[in-house]
Amino acid sequence: MTIELSRRGFCIGTALVGLQAVSSSAFARSEDGTVKLGLVAPMSGPNARYGAFSLRGAQMAAKEINDAGGVGGRKINIMAGDSQGTPVEGVSATRRLIDQDQVDFIIGDVSSSVTLAMQPVAEDAGVLLLNAASSNPKITYKAGVGGFKWTYRNYPTDENRALIVLQYAAEKKGFTKYAVLSVDSDYGRAAIEFTKKYLPRFKSQILTEDYYKEGEVDFRSVLSKIRDSGAQAIIMYGNADSTPIVGRQMTEVGIAGKIPLIGNAEFNTASSIKAAPKALEGAIEAAAWLPAYESEKSKAFVEKFTAEFREAPNNHAYVHWETVHLLAKAIEQAQSIDREKVRTALSNIHYASAVGEVTFDDHNQARLPMILLEIENGKPVIKGAYSAEIDYPK
Amino acid sequence: MFYTVIEQIVNGIVSGSVYAIVAVGMTMIFGVLRAINFAHGEYYMLGTFGAWFAIDYFDLPYPAAIVIGVVATAVIAVVVGNFVMQRIVGAPAEAGVLATLGVALILQNTIILVFGGSYKFFSGGYIEPVSLFGFTLAEQRILIIIVGLIVFVGLELMVTYSRIGKAMRAVSQNIECCAVVGIDVRHVALWTFILGACLAALSGVLTAPVNVSVYGGMGELITFKTLPIIIMGGLGNVRGTFVAAMILGIAESLVATYVGLQFRDTVGFATLMLVLMWRPHGLFSAQARF
Amino acid sequence: MTSAASPAVRRGPDLRIPFGFALVALACVAPLFLGNYPLHAIIIALIFLLPAHGLNLLLGYTGLLSLAQAAFFGIGAYASALLAVHFGTPFYLNFLAAGLVTGAIALPLGIPALRLRATSFVMCTLGFVIIGQAIAKNWISLTRGDMGLAAIPKPYFALGPASFTVSGTVGFYYLVLAIAALATLAVYLIVRSPAGRNMIAIRENETLAESVGIPTWHYKLVVFMISAVFAGLGGSLYAHYLTVVSPLTFQMYYSTTMLIIVLGGGAGTISGVIFGSLLFVGLTEALRVAPELRMIAYGFFLLALVFYFPNGFAPLIGRFWSFLERRK
Repeated sequence: MTIELSRRGFCIGTALVGLQAVSSSAFARSEDGTVKLGLVAPMSGPNARYGAFSLRGAQMAAKEINDAGGVGGRKINIMAGDSQGTPVEGVSATRRLIDQDQVDFIIGDVSSSVTLAMQPVAEDAGVLLLNAASSNPKITYKAGVGGFKWTYRNYPTDENRALIVLQYAAEKKGFTKYAVLSVDSDYGRAAIEFTKKYLPRFKSQILTEDYYKEGEVDFRSVLSKIRDSGAQAIIMYGNADSTPIVGRQMTEVGIAGKIPLIGNAEFNTASSIKAAPKALEGAIEAAAWLPAYESEKSKAFVEKFTAEFREAPNNHAYVHWETVHLLAKAIEQAQSIDREKVRTALSNIHYASAVGEVTFDDHNQARLPMILLEIENGKPVIKGAYSAEIDYPK
Repeated sequence: MFYTVIEQIVNGIVSGSVYAIVAVGMTMIFGVLRAINFAHGEYYMLGTFGAWFAIDYFDLPYPAAIVIGVVATAVIAVVVGNFVMQRIVGAPAEAGVLATLGVALILQNTIILVFGGSYKFFSGGYIEPVSLFGFTLAEQRILIIIVGLIVFVGLELMVTYSRIGKAMRAVSQNIECCAVVGIDVRHVALWTFILGACLAALSGVLTAPVNVSVYGGMGELITFKTLPIIIMGGLGNVRGTFVAAMILGIAESLVATYVGLQFRDTVGFATLMLVLMWRPHGLFSAQARF
Repeated sequence: MTSAASPAVRRGPDLRIPFGFALVALACVAPLFLGNYPLHAIIIALIFLLPAHGLNLLLGYTGLLSLAQAAFFGIGAYASALLAVHFGTPFYLNFLAAGLVTGAIALPLGIPALRLRATSFVMCTLGFVIIGQAIAKNWISLTRGDMGLAAIPKPYFALGPASFTVSGTVGFYYLVLAIAALATLAVYLIVRSPAGRNMIAIRENETLAESVGIPTWHYKLVVFMISAVFAGLGGSLYAHYLTVVSPLTFQMYYSTTMLIIVLGGGAGTISGVIFGSLLFVGLTEALRVAPELRMIAYGFFLLALVFYFPNGFAPLIGRFWSFLERRK
C-alpha cells in the first residue's frame, strides 16, 4: 500500500507540474491560430439538460463557422467548463478557463446566480464575458456604465418579460386577478418582483403567491388553493420540467381550461402540450425564442439541429448558437482577437439575428424582443415580438 | 373551507403512502445494518427509469413496466448489496454515510451518463380523474393508497410469521446473539436490503404517472424526505414509520396550502427537530436505541 | 478512527519539525512558481481546511459525527457578507463577527442536539443545514433569497494611513495562508492541552470518561461550538473570496466535503486533515478532465476510502515517517 500511495503522490505531483507547464507554455495564446472560446454551463447537476443544449448549440455554430473557413482565418475552439449550476463551481470553472486554458472569450452561464458570481472574475482578468441565457436584470444593471466593462448580455431580461406578459393578459384577456406559482430561484423570484412593479399600471392584484423548489412534483395542494382563490390566471415563471406536472395536476383538481398559465416555462413545446393539452390551452408565454418562430434563419436552425441531434432544439440551444455567431461577427469586424478591439466592435455591432437586429445599449445589454405566444388548439400561435427600453436604476 | 381541509388531508395521505413505501424499506435496512442509507432514493429513481425504459423503448403496457422496473432494481440491488451493503455490517457510522453517498453518486450519475440529464416524460399509468365522495382524484392516486396498505399489512405479516422476517427482527435486536444462534447476519442483511430497494422502486413506478417527469436527480429529493420520517418513526420500527409518513404527508399538504409551498420541503426536518426535543428517541420507540 | 497516534509521535522530536518548516517555507514562495489556477485550487483547499479542522476536533478527537458544518459555514458566510455589503466594515471585523455569530448560534442548537443518540444526532445536524437553507432562501428582506448577496468587497484592512485592500489571487493566497496557519496552531494547542486529552477520553469511552470526573456534556458542547466557529470563519473567507453568497452555501455537499477531508486525511490527526484538504481539492480539480465521469469517479473514490483506507491516508504518512527514520 505504501508503494501504491507513493505512486499516487507522484501522479498528483506530476499533475501539478503538468498544470504549471501548461500555464506557462500557453503564454502566447493566439499563436496557434485559433480563437479559444470558453463555455461555462451546467453540464452536471439538476440543470444538466440546459448545459447539454447550450453546448450543442455552441458547437454547431462553431462547426458552421469553421467549415466556412473560420473567422479571419482562425478556427473557433470551444472549451467547456462545468458550473453544475452553482456559483462556486461556476467561478472555479471560469478561473480555470481563464488561467489555465487561456481562453480569449467566455460565454456563460445559464443560471443567473452563477453569472452574477462570474462577473467580477471576468472583470478582474479583463476577459470578455458574453452571457447568452441568464435573465436576471441585475446582471446588466451592473454592466457597462453600471460598472463591469467586460460583461455583455445577448438575452432579454425578466423586466421586459414580466411587463409584456402582464400587458397582454390585461389588455387582450381582461385579467386583473392573478395567482403566482413560480420556481424558487433568482429567475422565478426576480420575474415576480418585476411583475409586482407593473401591477398597479394594469390595476391588477396578486391573490396568492407560492414558490416551488426545483424538482417539486406535488402541486395539488397549491392548485386547489388557487382554484378556491378566484384567480383568473396563474403567473408561472418556472422550469420547463415542471410544466407537464403542473398541467396534469391542474386537470386533476379541475382547473384545466378554466385558469390559464401565463409567464414562461416552455409551455409551447410539443411534449408539454401533449402531457396536458386541456391545461395548456390558452397558456400565454413570453420567450426569447421558440422553435415555431417564423423566420428563415430560425427555421433553418431548427431543421439543421433536429437533423444533427435527432431532437428539437430548445431556447438554450438557440441562444448559444446565435451568440457564438454574434461573437464571430464581432471578431471579424474587429479584424483581430484583441479583447479591447472585440469589445469595441461588440458595442457598435449591428447583427442580424433570427429574431431581429441585435444592438447593445450603454449597459452592454442587447436590445432584444420577447416573443409573445398563446397556445390555441394545441399549437403555439405567435402574437407578436415586443421590445422595451429598460428603465435602469439610477 | 372545511371541504378544502379534507381535500388537503386526502392529498396528504396519498403523498404519505408514497413516503411510507420508501421509508419502510429504509428503516428496515437501518434495523439490520445500523446504517442510514443515503442512496435509498436512488432505487426509487432506478425503478422509475426501468419502467420508463420499458414503456418508451419497448412499448410495454404499464403493469408490465411495473414488474420490469422492480426487477431491474432488484438486480442492481443484488450487486450493490454484495459489494457494498454487506461490508457495512459492523462498520462505524461515518463509514456507512460515506459508502452509501458513494453508491448514490455512482447510481445517479451512471443513469445521467447513459440516458442524459434531461427530464423524461413518463406516459404510462391511470391518470384519468375520478370523482370520489365529491373529490376529484386521479385513479393512480387511489392505486397508490391501496398498494400502500397492502405493503403495510404484508410487511407486518412477514415480520411476524415468516422465517426471514423473524431473522430480521432478531438481527435488529442483537447482532452478536444472532451469530451465536446461527443466523447468517450477512445473508439477512442482503435480503433486507434487496427488499427495501424493491419497495423503493415500486413506490417510484407507482408515483411516476402523477409526477410525470423522470430524471437522474429525482432520488435525492426522496432521500431527504424519508430521512426525517425514519427517525421520527423510531429507527427500525415499521409501524411507527407508517404513522410518521402519514403525519408528514398530511403536514406537508397543509403547510403547502396555508403557509406557502416554499416551506413544504422544510416541514420534514423542522418537525423532526421539534419531535426530537420532546422525545429524543422518536415518536414510537419506548427507549432510545440509536 | 481510533488510531490517533501515528508511530512517529512516540519517537519525539524528529524529522517532522524541519519538514514542517520546509513545507511552510515552500507555501510562502509558492506564488513565485505557481500560476493563478493552482493557487486558486490551494486557496479553496485552505478555506475548506478551517471547517475541516473544526469537524476534526468534533469527530476525530471527541468522536461526534456531525453534518452541521455546512450550516455554520453558511452562517459565517452570510454574517460576513451582510456586514461587508451593508456597513462596509473592514475585513478583520467581518471575519471575527462571523466567528462570534456562528458560535452564538451553535450554542442553543447544540444543547438539545447533543442530548441525542448517535444516528438521531447526525440527522439533527443535517436538519440544521436544510433549515438554514430554507431561512436563507425565504428571509428575503435580509438575505435577498435566491438572488444571493453579490459584490462582496475584497478584504479591506482599515489601519489609518496604512489601510490596504487585499486583491488578486496572490494577495488572497497569503491572507488565507496566514489564517490557515493560525487556525492550525490553535487546533494544535487545543489538542495538546489537558482539554485535548479529555476529548480523546470521551471519544474512546464516554461512560468511562464521565466516571473519572470529566464533565463530558460540557466538553461536547464547547467542542461543538468551537467546531462551529471554525466553520463560520471558513465561511467568512469563502464569501470574501468568491464575492457572492447564495442559499446554496447551505447544502449537504459541503458537510460531506468536510467529512471526506477529515476521514480521507485521517480523523484525529492535524497533518492528516491538512493533507486531506489538499488531496480533496486536488482530486476535484483532477477529475475535471473527464466531466461526465467526474461524479461517478468520485463515488468510487468514496467506496475505496471506506473499504480500503478506513483510517484515511494519515497512517500512510506515519509509515512514511518511520521509513525515513529507519534510513537515517
